[in-house]
Amino acid sequence: MNMQVVKQTGPAQIEINGVSYNAEPGQRPVLVDGCDTVPKLFQARCMALQERTAHREKDMGIWKSYSWSTYWQQAKWIGLGLVSLGLKRGEVVSILSEDRREWLYTDMGVQGVGGIASGVYTTDSASQLSYLVNDSESRFLFVENDEQLDKYLEVAAEMPSLLKVIIYDRDGLHDLDRDKCLFLDDLCALGQAYEAQNPGAFEAGIAESKPEDTAMLIYTSGTTGMPKGAMLGHENVLASMESGARGLAVSPDDEQLCFLPLCHILERNVSVYFPLAASSTVNFAESPETVFDNMQEVSPATFFAVPRVWEKIYSRVLVMAQEATPMGRWAFQRAIKAGQARANYVMYGKQPPAGVAARYAFWDFMVLRNLRRMLGMDRMRRGGTGAAPISPELLKWYWSIGVPLIEGYGMTENAGIATINTLEQNLPGTVGCALPGIELRIAEDGEIQTLGLNNFQGYWRNNEKTAETFTSDGWLRTGDVGRIDDAGYLTITGRIKDIIITAGGKNITPAEIESRLKFSHYISDAVVIGDKRKYLTCLIMIDQENVEKFAQDRKIPFSDFASLCAATDVLQQISQEVEAVNRDFARVEQIKDFRLINVLLTAEDDELTATMKLKRSFVEKKHKALIDDMY
Amino acid sequence: MSEPLLEIKNLESFYGPIMAIRGVSLKVDKGQIVTVLGANGAGKSTLLKTISGIMDPEKGQVLFNGKPIQGQEPHRIVEHGIVHVPEGREVFPLLTVDENLSLGAYTRSDKAEIERDRQMVFEYFPILAERRSQEAGTLSGGQQQMLAIGRGLMLRPQIMLLDEPSLGLSPLLVQEIFAILRRLNAEAHVTMMLVEQNARIALDLADVGYVMEIGRIVMDGSADRLMESEDIKSFYLGHQEEGQRGEKRWKRKKTWR
Repeated sequence: MNMQVVKQTGPAQIEINGVSYNAEPGQRPVLVDGCDTVPKLFQARCMALQERTAHREKDMGIWKSYSWSTYWQQAKWIGLGLVSLGLKRGEVVSILSEDRREWLYTDMGVQGVGGIASGVYTTDSASQLSYLVNDSESRFLFVENDEQLDKYLEVAAEMPSLLKVIIYDRDGLHDLDRDKCLFLDDLCALGQAYEAQNPGAFEAGIAESKPEDTAMLIYTSGTTGMPKGAMLGHENVLASMESGARGLAVSPDDEQLCFLPLCHILERNVSVYFPLAASSTVNFAESPETVFDNMQEVSPATFFAVPRVWEKIYSRVLVMAQEATPMGRWAFQRAIKAGQARANYVMYGKQPPAGVAARYAFWDFMVLRNLRRMLGMDRMRRGGTGAAPISPELLKWYWSIGVPLIEGYGMTENAGIATINTLEQNLPGTVGCALPGIELRIAEDGEIQTLGLNNFQGYWRNNEKTAETFTSDGWLRTGDVGRIDDAGYLTITGRIKDIIITAGGKNITPAEIESRLKFSHYISDAVVIGDKRKYLTCLIMIDQENVEKFAQDRKIPFSDFASLCAATDVLQQISQEVEAVNRDFARVEQIKDFRLINVLLTAEDDELTATMKLKRSFVEKKHKALIDDMY
Repeated sequence: MSEPLLEIKNLESFYGPIMAIRGVSLKVDKGQIVTVLGANGAGKSTLLKTISGIMDPEKGQVLFNGKPIQGQEPHRIVEHGIVHVPEGREVFPLLTVDENLSLGAYTRSDKAEIERDRQMVFEYFPILAERRSQEAGTLSGGQQQMLAIGRGLMLRPQIMLLDEPSLGLSPLLVQEIFAILRRLNAEAHVTMMLVEQNARIALDLADVGYVMEIGRIVMDGSADRLMESEDIKSFYLGHQEEGQRGEKRWKRKKTWR
């Protein structure tokens, strides 16, 4: 990291990778290159970078580049087009689309004219869409294509607040004839016309933006009750950039890959706001199914993903290794061993002894660098994981193959970032230390609380929930339970609301047990049950790929997913996994029985969040029969 | 429960480095018609070829009457009573209908029995009797398909593996051939494993169905249950769900439940 103190009026500045930030993080006004709102920074970047590549998207199999000028122009036209159709400052615009550059154009266009952008997951149902649009009182809705448009049409009558619906993709909709619908190019034409009549209108709108204005709504998945819209202001976003620059530094030449939903704060930060601060290039994956191929093509410098993705890549490598020649398998094992020996030092920030380093250098040259190239990780300076617990063994495996992987922690309500391990300061198994500018404390009941300018403004039109989320002295209640060690590293043990009180009166944090179960390659997610019950049980969602492979290797016949879940040997293997976890817990915390969820769940199902985590309340309701069967 | 006639366990087959079958397990009981559905490239034909010994599996077992037969030479497999009616008919074009049928019985020696079976084939497929001395290559597609099935019957098979008998035939001919297959199963108790892309007619005929996608089985169940599945309806039976705009270009996501 290249730091340099810069003198200026206002708060003292410091330069990190060529961008100036407040030297003292956590101070008002939060400035990034002298800008105090997202649109101002956006304008500064586009004016400075012009024809440099901002985004890349694959079109008919070929990666095409799109410049910062295009970014600016499209955002401007979208913003002004919305204004000409009646968007007022402080009104909400919803976006229902997979990741694509138009998503970002819309985000910036809406914010530029003082609107608030709100993302909707493409996996949401029509009724969920109507809830989100109505709750946010959205004036406009952007939909990706015919499929998402049909979702809107299904509930069109239920959403009176909507003025217009704008469609990105024209395919299959050429003869569409609906009053409220128009295509993105139509909107841009309106914006262009508006600009011709009101030159400088977009720039004037940007100049009006204030740090305390709300920039976006992020609806939290709502494992209990209906989703709530968390309001994040410009200051929150800039504060998160300020902290991010210190913990997750990105440089202007970095390539990044965008593939998680942009409705989620994690991908929004990593693919929209941090690149805005760092001037890096974002590549959009074609679809969730092609991420691994796209990764190989892009070879990103930094890559932030949820543990599930890291698990999948790991499984793929193991499968590849098993299908290799005996010689290849032997070399792979030796290489991993050499890598692990080195990882014991480097992942704790220590220098490995010369012998270990030399052995690694040899195997790196022979095997590991090829492996990294095949995975698209040959240029990866830093991998990141968050949003769910990850197994320390998996972290170590990535360090062993030469991919530094670090874990962080944040939530929507603190703009996605609170603590992170860094390459220099890393304690695997923890989520790292608080980032500069963010304070951390553990309340008496064990709850983790954070304080910083990244803490959100509150829930959209829900003062009651907002009040519940902040303490009397203004700290954010994260709802997570954890502990901080003497060096400041935070360990998360569970969710406070999920605490189970058994019939015997014992308090148990299920997440602790669940995350241990999830560390098994065969278990993709688990929900521990036992509130007001005599003993603990759990429902397990198996990892399809790994269990299929297990069955195939052991010659256990199966046909579909249900028969895989019913196979005795599979149940036995899972039982062993559960037993292994049980050994680490006290008797009352042990799982007495379990059932497998024998339908293959998709993100469209109620039981799963968009990041494929099981939702406790829905699982308990939907699979009541399975649960009752265990008691 | 009695032992299945044919049982496949965790079968894997490769074309060079490409894994065409990635772990398939299924069962065919005696007297049953089992159909395997799937799109192009799902691995259906490869599965049949692996059973009949044209291809060797990399892994897994093929049990016939409880005995492993995987990896045996095709002529040995035929001797067990497994007949493969290949995709695209593949009759011997320069031989007559009669000669083709005789070749079907080449493992057998009892002349009288063979003659009786030849008459049975002619009874099921009267057109073949009319054309018995014609060269097979001059027959129409439907007649060639009948000949291919008839040639298979000449072995008195315990099980027939039928690879897309409906391929390239007119709807009327498909009806006719499937009606004969139904009769063969009902009257002559021929067990069948039927690979098809024409899901409607296959499920109509079969007792049990399996759906294959990229080398794996994604769904199985009784033919009635499969008929009712939303995924089968929209991806294999061509049902159009009601769209919001009177037209619908996109497809629902498959869940196979």
